[in-house]
Amino acid sequence: MLELNHLMPIPLRDRLSKKESSVWNNQILVSTEEWIKITAPSGTGKTTLMHMLYGIRSDYDGAILLDGINIKNMSINELASIRQIKMSVIFQDLRLFPHLTAFENIELKRVLQKPYYESDKIIEMAEVLGISNILSQKAAICSYGEQQRISIIRALIQPFTLLLMDEPFSHLDNNNKAIAAKLIAQECIKRNAALIITDLEDDDLFTYSRKLIL
Amino acid sequence: MNKLDFILKKIIRDGVGRSKKISALVGLSVAIFLLLTSIQLQINYHDLLNNKNNKDSIANFLVINKILTDATLGKTSIEDSIIKDIQLQPFTEAVGELSPSKFKASIESNSKRFPFYTDISFESVPKEFVDVNGTVWNWSEQSPYVPIIIPTLFLDFYNFQFSLSQDLPQLTPDIVKMIVFKVSTHTKTGSTSYNAKIVGFSDRISSMIVPEEFLNWGNQQFSLDTTKTVSRVIIKTKDPGSPLLSEYLKKHHLTTDADKTRFSKYRKVVDTVVYIAGITGGLLLAFALLVFTLFIQITIASCKEEITLLIILGASPTQLGKFLIKRFFPINIWLVSGAVTAICFLQYFLFKVLEIQHIYIDRLISGYTIGFAALLLLLIWWINKRSIQRYIYQ
Repeated sequence: MLELNHLMPIPLRDRLSKKESSVWNNQILVSTEEWIKITAPSGTGKTTLMHMLYGIRSDYDGAILLDGINIKNMSINELASIRQIKMSVIFQDLRLFPHLTAFENIELKRVLQKPYYESDKIIEMAEVLGISNILSQKAAICSYGEQQRISIIRALIQPFTLLLMDEPFSHLDNNNKAIAAKLIAQECIKRNAALIITDLEDDDLFTYSRKLIL
Repeated sequence: MNKLDFILKKIIRDGVGRSKKISALVGLSVAIFLLLTSIQLQINYHDLLNNKNNKDSIANFLVINKILTDATLGKTSIEDSIIKDIQLQPFTEAVGELSPSKFKASIESNSKRFPFYTDISFESVPKEFVDVNGTVWNWSEQSPYVPIIIPTLFLDFYNFQFSLSQDLPQLTPDIVKMIVFKVSTHTKTGSTSYNAKIVGFSDRISSMIVPEEFLNWGNQQFSLDTTKTVSRVIIKTKDPGSPLLSEYLKKHHLTTDADKTRFSKYRKVVDTVVYIAGITGGLLLAFALLVFTLFIQITIASCKEEITLLIILGASPTQLGKFLIKRFFPINIWLVSGAVTAICFLQYFLFKVLEIQHIYIDRLISGYTIGFAALLLLLIWWINKRSIQRYIYQ
């Protein structure tokens, strides 16, 4: 489904080429339903990798092939279509619209394409993650922990076959981490989706099929 | 509004461009109104020239002759070359030759109650230029009388001047038509008389006219000069007010009834007004579209971060373009519809005002004006779409 072919971000080339990595400058195949954990300390390019996989960055050598197509060659409209129905993401920096309510931030991703879920599902997921009380609150005045959970529901409300998560639980306590991971796992299983998660440390929040060091 | 548009509307707001939007919309309204008005005015003027009901106000037939000066004395017949040249002019629809009688003639009343006698001469004109309908306009030697058409002015002169000074009865046109006159032709060998009737009154030709058959026959019978002479020509024109016509006559030392060509001066004024309105409207439209494009650019620029995030989250530029077109374009439909409605009211008002003066224009606005409004809308849509696409992809 996803093929990483000798990737190397150009701005980090000098630094990363001296280090040993199971991702950079290697060939990696991610198949359907495969759950991959990528662990690395700060400053080793976790976010860079996620942005490359999501098609935000193109300043790299090598190629990323999604279903055999190089995402660098996709038009902006083709990429939009991929992001609507194939690929979902939880950004490390969350990327919410501050003046929209929590509900509107999630609803936007639900209606951007043919909805995968009815809007009731937003309330249902919010209840599971314990943020149903702040759904009508503007995102700007939500805490980081709340914003992170909004961001998680936003990623899960759309159809996808690959879920990218960049330190998705950085602002959550262990209990909320476990609840969020359980919800994410359920949604991935339901869609037979693959997931790639990056984090600073190793964990067993998901049943990983592979663990890689960046 | 669907859910996506509702949320997008909250994300992409007018922001700092609102005042520019208002000024652009005011400019666009005035520009559209001016442009459509100039088109409607031009169409109204065209209608005035071509509407049959307006012949009282604008003449379609002009009788043309050479200007009589010391140099042209005795040489006023119009040559074939000039007639052919007139035929070729863009303002000419048809040309007819007016031929003069070359024999001496007189007309007198048979009635003692209404005694009068005068020497006269005739002219003839092709049938299609005769403006008296419903009468037989031909003559043969077997005809019981010679039909004559006289200028309306002659009857006015008789009724309001001559009859009063001579203590004669005033005559209505119908009574005049019932009177049988005696027309006599005079040659060295003697006189011959015919019955004649006035069959109509012409506002078009200022001489007594008889059927061509009678005039040609008379010239052959009673005149020694058998050469064909054209004293004047009558032209049918769509636009007697055409400045081109006035210039042509002036250039070729020809003249016609100045009252009829005075419209050329009005036409120049109307043309100038329409031209200025059109140019002003065009410039204003260009300026307003520029400001509106600037407003679109500023709106998109002020929401650049939001638009970037929308695209990162998966919104396609096509989706955003459609939303922005829905956002910016419908106001233009209202503007154009408003301008068309205002012109509809003005047109009806103009129709009512002119109707009192027996000048008739259409009470409804022209299809051309509506068509142009649609074209204008299409142009605005295209410019909006192009601007949105350009700035989104930036």
